[in-house]
Amino acid sequence: MLDLFYLATLNTLRNTRRSLITILSIAVGCTALISFGAFINFSFEGLRETTIRTQLGHMQIYAKGYWEKRIVDPGSAKIENLSTLQKALENIPEISSVTQRLTFSGIGGIGNATVNMSVIGVDPERDEEFVDFEIVEEGRNLLIGDSDVGVIGRELAHGLGAKIGDWVTVMTTSVDGIINAVDFQIVGIVRTGSTEYDSVFVKIPIQLAQSALETDGVDRVIVLLEKTETLPIVRPKIEAALANMPEQYEFKQWDELAGFYEAVYSLYTGFFRIFAVIVSIVVMFSVANTMSMAVFERLGEIGALRAIGAPRRTMVWMFLYEGIFIGLLGSGSGVALAYGLSTLVDTFGGIPMPPPPSMSEGYQAYFPITFEVLASAVALAMTASLISSIYPSWVASRANIIEALQKK
Amino acid sequence: MGNISIRELSYAYQTDGNTLPILRAASLELPSGAFATVSGPSGSGKSTLLNLIGALDRPQHGNIKVGVVELGELSDWQLAGFRSRMIGFVFQSFHLLPVLSATENVAWPLYFQGIKRSKRMEIAREKLELVGLKGHLNKVPGKLSGGQRQRVAIARALATEPSVVLADEPTANLDRKTAEEIVVLMRSLNENAGVTFLMATHDPMVVAHALQRIELVDGKLIEQKQIQRQEVLAHA
Repeated sequence: MLDLFYLATLNTLRNTRRSLITILSIAVGCTALISFGAFINFSFEGLRETTIRTQLGHMQIYAKGYWEKRIVDPGSAKIENLSTLQKALENIPEISSVTQRLTFSGIGGIGNATVNMSVIGVDPERDEEFVDFEIVEEGRNLLIGDSDVGVIGRELAHGLGAKIGDWVTVMTTSVDGIINAVDFQIVGIVRTGSTEYDSVFVKIPIQLAQSALETDGVDRVIVLLEKTETLPIVRPKIEAALANMPEQYEFKQWDELAGFYEAVYSLYTGFFRIFAVIVSIVVMFSVANTMSMAVFERLGEIGALRAIGAPRRTMVWMFLYEGIFIGLLGSGSGVALAYGLSTLVDTFGGIPMPPPPSMSEGYQAYFPITFEVLASAVALAMTASLISSIYPSWVASRANIIEALQKK
Repeated sequence: MGNISIRELSYAYQTDGNTLPILRAASLELPSGAFATVSGPSGSGKSTLLNLIGALDRPQHGNIKVGVVELGELSDWQLAGFRSRMIGFVFQSFHLLPVLSATENVAWPLYFQGIKRSKRMEIAREKLELVGLKGHLNKVPGKLSGGQRQRVAIARALATEPSVVLADEPTANLDRKTAEEIVVLMRSLNENAGVTFLMATHDPMVVAHALQRIELVDGKLIEQKQIQRQEVLAHA
């Protein structure tokens, strides 16, 4: 086998220009695939972390039945034994933070200006880790001890014409179905990166939210992990820790709640697949052309090898090895090029990108190459090279020996 | 055992819907260790005969037996094995692999017999020394003269120690002096190793060196009176 691979290697290198063009086309395709894959992964990761750390956490815990009733009767399933639940979660080392939320929708405004609001009641003491992606544009965030104050999203402030120090009244329905209202003073205007979210976002102390809904409970406990990757092993631990509690709970992971993320993920994954198919076709045509020309040009040698005892199978392998060798060189060069490009982008501080759909901020894009992206690009290039070598190899193996020998 | 036995061998080409008979019930007995030529005008079927004996093609009618092997009964796979073990080929255009050195070219047929690389290279060096190319072991064919290339081709044909060497116009691409050297070399290899040599040629010089002279006339093989080895040696 090594001898055949050696012969295939020498044969590949004998027509340097043609082989180089083929190798280059594979390398460029491979580089494009790796870079695009890395860019998509970077975007996914950014979007994922923004989604988790501004809104959802890694996991949310609800009282049993909340999820089913959350729209029609959200007040009927609240978590009451909060301190017991929090204590049970303290022993899981992968958990970075646990906080509680009480959310409701309401209509609020200043003076005559009223708009829809999505109000979140938070515990400022426990909420520090959830404000990583909130950028305070004016004023400050909530602090421990705050009672009747709140922060609002930039777009909401703009819509209401609100400024720091203004009082906002929010009307909602309590858990008993009674219309209720609370007032808070704006202490901060923030942006989260999501324009849509900023246009409804209101954050107030949880006690104020509880008084608006006239309840002592919370509707969810949010768990934040040190690392997102540990979620699959942490979830069973959380479920086990809460299994024997007096209250029954239900659980949702962030990816079950993040519809936008899932839509973006599907869209970009679709783009990547289409791109991979295009690259594969280019590679296949390129390699098939090179291999077909090699077979045609070397018919005399094929005839001689068959005459001195080479079985058909050997001819198939010889040309398949050439395809594999070309694929190896091409994908290897592609990997090197992709790493070079990634380093270059790092050196220059990333590529400035415009804000994604529904986001207000642009960002610097990088190409962090992961093993999965690398392996899939190399596997694709190798497979395309191998597949496109099959037909020329078969032609070589079926060549009529006598006719082949008549070629010089 | 390099004896060749041909019985009622027929072969015809199909061209533009016409049948062009080349061999017509030709028969031949060639003993092991023969040094024979097949001569005849261009298109008479010399190469076809060699191709059939060398199992590069299959007879349409009749039988060919090399040693104890009946070629008609062999599968494609077995024919490849037969060529590998029993036949050595020397072509008019040498047909060496240009990317390999002389030694690697000679060693290559041994690969198909599953011999280890070190052993193959050792045998190849021996064969190249035998044909007088000791100083050219690592040269690629492009760096060798026509005569040297044909010597490499002969060494390659002998590498597997075949029973029969089939040479198709082995001197056609060589100058007179080199051609004679090649024929003398083949004859000495025939004498020393006992390998059967059958050469298709229309070169009178090659025919003059042959111990058995066969002519292809109207698709039939006509063997001239067997020439005494001593006579040929005296002539040479």
